[in-house]
Amino acid sequence: MSSSVIELSQIVKEYPGVRPLDRVDFAVRPGEIHALLGENGAGKSTLIRVMGGAVAPNSGSITYLGKSVSWRSPKEARTAGIHVIYQELALFPELSVAENILVDAQPTRFGLISGRARHALAAAALKQLGVTIPTHAKVDELPLADQQMVEIAKALVGQTKLLILDEPTAVITGREVDLLFENMRRLRSEGVGIVYVSHRLEEIAEIADRVTILKDGQVVATSPVAALTREAMITKMVGRRLEQVYPARLQAPAQTADVLTVRNLEAGPRVRDVSFSVKAGEIVGLAGMVGSGRTEVAEAIFGTREVKQGSIALEGKPFSKIDPGAAIRFGLGFLTENRKDEGLFLGLPISANIVAPDLGSVTRRGLIDRATERETAMRQMKEFAVAAPSSEVKVGNLSGGNQQKVLFSRWSRIANRLLILDEPTRGVDIGAKVEIYRIIRRLADSGIGVLLISSELQEVVGMSDRVYVMSQGQIVGEIQGEAISEEAIMDLAVRSMDRSRLSVAGGAELVS
Amino acid sequence: MTASTNAPVPRTRNLTTAAIFERYGLVIFLCILLVVAALISPPFLQPANLVNVLTIAAPLGMVVVGQTFVILVRGLDLSVASLMATVAVLATAFKATGNDAIPMIFVAAIVFSAIVGLISGWLVTKRNVSPFLATLAMMIILQGVRFAYTGGAPISTLPPGMSFLASGRILGIPVNLITLAILATALGIVLHRSRFGRQIFMVGSNPKAALLNGVPRDRVVILCYVICSICAGIGGLFLLGYVGTVSNWVGQGYELDSIVAAVMGGVALSGGRGNVFAALLGVAVLVVINNLVLLLGFPIEMQLIIKGIIIIGAAAFYRTRLF
Amino acid sequence: MTALIMDLRRNRLLASYVIVGTLFLILVIAGGLLSDRFLTWRNFSNLFQQLIVLGMVSLGQTFVVLMGGIDLAVGALVGALTVFLASFLEWRPDMLWLAIPLSAIIATAIGALNGLMIVVLRVHALIVTLGMGSIIFGATLMYRREPGGSVPNAFADFAYANVGNIPISAIVLVAIFALAGLWLQRTRSGRDIYFAGGDPEAARLNGVHVNKVIILAYAISGLCAAGAAIFLTARTGVGDPRIGAALTLQSITPVVVGGTILAGGRGGVLGTFLGVLLVTTLNNLLNFVNVSSYYQWVIQGLIIIIAVAFNTSGKRR
Repeated sequence: MSSSVIELSQIVKEYPGVRPLDRVDFAVRPGEIHALLGENGAGKSTLIRVMGGAVAPNSGSITYLGKSVSWRSPKEARTAGIHVIYQELALFPELSVAENILVDAQPTRFGLISGRARHALAAAALKQLGVTIPTHAKVDELPLADQQMVEIAKALVGQTKLLILDEPTAVITGREVDLLFENMRRLRSEGVGIVYVSHRLEEIAEIADRVTILKDGQVVATSPVAALTREAMITKMVGRRLEQVYPARLQAPAQTADVLTVRNLEAGPRVRDVSFSVKAGEIVGLAGMVGSGRTEVAEAIFGTREVKQGSIALEGKPFSKIDPGAAIRFGLGFLTENRKDEGLFLGLPISANIVAPDLGSVTRRGLIDRATERETAMRQMKEFAVAAPSSEVKVGNLSGGNQQKVLFSRWSRIANRLLILDEPTRGVDIGAKVEIYRIIRRLADSGIGVLLISSELQEVVGMSDRVYVMSQGQIVGEIQGEAISEEAIMDLAVRSMDRSRLSVAGGAELVS
Repeated sequence: MTASTNAPVPRTRNLTTAAIFERYGLVIFLCILLVVAALISPPFLQPANLVNVLTIAAPLGMVVVGQTFVILVRGLDLSVASLMATVAVLATAFKATGNDAIPMIFVAAIVFSAIVGLISGWLVTKRNVSPFLATLAMMIILQGVRFAYTGGAPISTLPPGMSFLASGRILGIPVNLITLAILATALGIVLHRSRFGRQIFMVGSNPKAALLNGVPRDRVVILCYVICSICAGIGGLFLLGYVGTVSNWVGQGYELDSIVAAVMGGVALSGGRGNVFAALLGVAVLVVINNLVLLLGFPIEMQLIIKGIIIIGAAAFYRTRLF
Repeated sequence: MTALIMDLRRNRLLASYVIVGTLFLILVIAGGLLSDRFLTWRNFSNLFQQLIVLGMVSLGQTFVVLMGGIDLAVGALVGALTVFLASFLEWRPDMLWLAIPLSAIIATAIGALNGLMIVVLRVHALIVTLGMGSIIFGATLMYRREPGGSVPNAFADFAYANVGNIPISAIVLVAIFALAGLWLQRTRSGRDIYFAGGDPEAARLNGVHVNKVIILAYAISGLCAAGAAIFLTARTGVGDPRIGAALTLQSITPVVVGGTILAGGRGGVLGTFLGVLLVTTLNNLLNFVNVSSYYQWVIQGLIIIIAVAFNTSGKRR
């Protein structure tokens, strides 16, 4: 084992009330691609941050190239040859591609940075990666996929001994993925240790040598990739069989009326031509890659994104001039993707968070009626099993799962027609997930239409009665009932992408 | 990151000394200051003296109430002092010598202030200008307009009733303290009990989420600037009555003092957290300290040093608490 | 031409430069038409004298704002340093060689202390520098309430010395701006200021010591304040605790007018230089045409609004 590039032993990371890493052992050998698997919130990101020096563990030891180390800053880890490509890109949008690629390795002559050398080196890194991106362009002028490639190119500069990639393929496709894998294989043959995080099990089977699976902050398995079947990986990640996780779907297609009908919707660059519908009492999944325009569709329906063209009808009535207030009054709820940035008021009590979209119901003559507010909140908290001593606890003090349940408490109160859920289980543990899935099904059973947006294909497959697949701003297909499977969804998403690439000039017409 | 559903909820029994100190720290601090002041100079604690001290602080209190509204929505108003002086100049523009002009003066002051607040709020919300710059620009513009009008010279044509506002008493209680109490109570109810007040906290706590919960975000923010300006305008009239003549620098320093008092009262510059009455407690602490410096026989400049230390210390103190 | 317009749309900073530069040229032409004494060497050297103090303080402010902070202590610091210099030189007129570096060291240390408090206490820069400004101002006033002290003639001569028709101090100022620009654009520590201002967390993950950068930026602001104070003391011959009071907020105008955004990470010293030039020339011109100096304030406020509110960009300015 002493031949490892990095070896972590009994690493523990603790925050108040949470333990993202619990006695983790992990090692990467030189010339190995080691996949790191686990559900959202299993502790992968924290483990990566510990290796990269961005987070200091509470206990445990790190041995790097045979020496015991404890990073005090990301800088130390980088200088020692560890390069991390974080999922949330660490780029500077106002600055040039070249400067971003050489951010901590600016070439100097006589102490001054040489602009020419900078561009030459950056161009060389991009060329090695196999992409052509102008080095003078500012990063915020690039499409997301190119930004990801810039982030990857950073790893090709300097002496990297350990390369860590956190879901690099979330926003790139086809050829770019091939280029990335080519480069990873080359680096592997040069003896670089690589940690690779991805949700796509096919990719792991294709590229990785060994795999470590994390669950709830603990290592549940480390083994050669070939020794584990796909099903075995899933079972280890989830910790139980899938049938137990998801409630049963509708027996037959819903025969109810549409609550939501969207026709030829165009809104911003990411939503180009979208038509679909949601019936009362059914859960409709909206699947597709990150950046395919799913969230933007939800925003357009809820009135926070300008609609350029097309129509949105609620219960058959066309809905023009939408704003969140009007949507809420209609009985529409929108549980946003990022609960801390767009969902919760962390500094306010649970009660205020629950009544937020509907202050009118607790207002008497312009003043908030505290008793009614508290009562309402307690009722909701009980119904959704929010674990907190009182309704006056600040939401920022709750765990991720409980925070998410507060959001369900909020929106289920006012959403009596349609509930839009964008990544409803991001960052919550499996126990809370199962509870949330039951809640979603219960809400649908009570006659509400549910639009479920999720990057976790499993979740979409497990929960949805019907699935629409989105790709590059368009709906590329619809799948019903028993035909819903991860393969069918991926097939639609990827195929449409290849096709649109062939017929860009003609303005691709795709099925919907 | 992840959290177990069964994770321990915040420990309520842990509302220990630290929590009490955090909640009532300012009151305790004020009490200590008062005791120290009384020990140094026994007459200090006599009601007459205390009322006097508070009377001087009343206009600042009015500004602080307004400043609290703006800070709560992640803003800042640097134009309050300049507005106070401008309103004072405006009051003299009526060249009135009779008391019947006073209602008119008040209406004009309030309308003028509201317009100023409207502009600041518009710049901040619709033009996405940082509150610092928007109100800084308003401050400079008001200053220029005011000086251009007065030619830089002080004026003293004022209805005699104006001084009643500053030093008059009703049933032995100073008029300006009564006004401050009414203003603070009314706006305190608006902020802490009304639907609009809740919307202010929502916008301050998380502007994006507020919008998604149907709160008309821009309107709420603009209204906060308008309220702040009106408070400053009224404060300006009361200060004017106190000073008697209109210098072009009436209220100078109040922009910073009002921010210091609010921060000391636990109003967070990051928005969404604060309380009008605690902010007023901040004013009380500020004026008692200023008095204490004099009682101790220190030079008056010492006030500046202590104020500086206190604002940094108070911000660091509140910074340590979570949510 | 179309290419240029496209370029300006994309590069907002360049657009700011062009707009401010054009406004400056318009002012110069208008000045020449309105008064025959405006376009003279005498007036220009006068104008340069006027812009040195604002230029130095704004330069320091630029570093801080680029890094994502703000320095509200500079005005008080400039006042304190003039008092220090004039008092020290009154006591030992022969020790000019010591007084100048000493004032620079003190100013840099106080600036660094600002940065240190921001980093250690994690308190908003606005509060820390506001508090420090108050402390410095109070301490200075306790030492010297009214302007006083004196400086040796040799020192005073420096402020008024010319090479040909150009004041030496102006040449020094331009040289300092050029060096500052070179440093920001072409050294690693200079680029670190942009990284830290653009996105502190990304900078940290990319191996930038953000805390060091913060302290560095405030230290530079202190150093620049020393430069302004040295020139001021030489020119006025006295130390005046209140002389810098208005400078704090004045120093921010040229920075934002020059296209540097308060959120940090975008801008540069060239913009600040143009901003200082614009503001100073405007005041100078208004004096020439006998517009009450009070309107200068109105115009300055309007310039801030126009420069910031109508320079469209997604980021908060």
